[in-house]
Amino acid sequence: METEVAIQAEIDRLRRALGDFSERIVCGQLTGKLPDNFLEQFSQLPDRPLEQVLRFLPTRQVPQMRRVSRKFNNVIRKGSKTMPKKERNGSVVFKSCNTGELSVELRDYDNKIVKTTLADDRVALSELFRFMRIGGRMYFGEGLSAADKVLDQLSKAWVTIRPETVIFAGDLSQTSRDSLRAFLEKVEPSVKWLHFQYANNIGNSLLSDDVIGAAGRLDGLMVMPMCLGSKLRDINIGDRTLLAMVDSDEVLLHFFVMGCSGITPAGIRAFAM
Amino acid sequence: MIQLCSNDDPPVSFTVPRKAVELSKTIKTMLEDLEGFDMEQTPIPLPNVDAPTLELIVKWVEQHQDDPPPVEKPRVEDDDSDDSDADDDQEPEVVIPEWDKKFLPTDDEQKNQLFKLLNAANYLEIKPLLDIGCKYVADKISGQTVEWVRDYLNMENDYTPEEEAKLKEEIAWAEGL
Repeated sequence: METEVAIQAEIDRLRRALGDFSERIVCGQLTGKLPDNFLEQFSQLPDRPLEQVLRFLPTRQVPQMRRVSRKFNNVIRKGSKTMPKKERNGSVVFKSCNTGELSVELRDYDNKIVKTTLADDRVALSELFRFMRIGGRMYFGEGLSAADKVLDQLSKAWVTIRPETVIFAGDLSQTSRDSLRAFLEKVEPSVKWLHFQYANNIGNSLLSDDVIGAAGRLDGLMVMPMCLGSKLRDINIGDRTLLAMVDSDEVLLHFFVMGCSGITPAGIRAFAM
Repeated sequence: MIQLCSNDDPPVSFTVPRKAVELSKTIKTMLEDLEGFDMEQTPIPLPNVDAPTLELIVKWVEQHQDDPPPVEKPRVEDDDSDDSDADDDQEPEVVIPEWDKKFLPTDDEQKNQLFKLLNAANYLEIKPLLDIGCKYVADKISGQTVEWVRDYLNMENDYTPEEEAKLKEEIAWAEGL
């Protein structure tokens, strides 16, 4: 109650001050002299209209416009997260052939390839996704292409990725449970097929029922680690993952795992039913 | 009726129906805050708007005073915590009505007048006017080169040649979008 009275008093005070202020302006006392370039500045658009202009431009032209000026670049960088995005439905392939370098290939259905190489600190990966909405297939190939720092960028809330299939086929030695889980949660609404296909260096505790579970309901799961000449490591996936897939509506369902000791004959029986 | 004053010396004043003037969110809020004062008698000074621009603004709000209010969509601010991931990140189509097409100062020598108008629409928060103006500018620069856009928007290339070359390389991928 007391605070309400205080707030009301404050509002009254401000109102009086504002009224007083506006009258003084009218009398011309506050107009004063304008800075010399005051009107010139209006021949340039301020940030908000500029951003609005960008939203109406064809998506492919927007990144080019970053070259116009620093100011324009800043507006684009600031606003691009919420700008209209271009739909991409082919596949996107990540590779890391050299340490610290990540190459991204965008392939269309007609196999047109756009290739870009992102050096670690020069261009953030998320930069690439400012103007695209990724669908189709995501393939983490060669090298440390699915390392935490890559997955973390992809998991950022505003990056739009809607892959149906996600394939891990590279070196997973620098991939942690937390980052993988966050990534799978991110793609959960769209992903149907999840493959760990010839992936190597899968950490002991990387894959487990609850990590895979973050991807939601799947129509296909493949866990086939690379194990040439070495003993197959045990993978901690059990009946829970297997049985979660039984609920899938898809008829063409596949489940292919190697080295998962947690799967029991009883689980397989229930799955086959 | 409400009086609006330009920033000229001496100020030029325009008398506008309150309903029309309230298309400006800035002025609407101000009038609400000053309720109780006789605003009919108090001209409102607009320190950012000159007379030719104010004349255009007045023309536009009078023409559009009976338009149905635009549907407001909450804007997502640039913050990583916001999930702009929803399927609504496509801009709704903005169509410039016939009357507005004739109204907008679109001749090349009137370019700066157009920018001043958009500046004023931004300052006065007249969203529909800002939208059609920006749509016009976007259509104008669509498909044009960086150099052309720079010139059209009165912007200066403030990159060093090295910086620009680097940037060019960084955005090369966008060609394939």
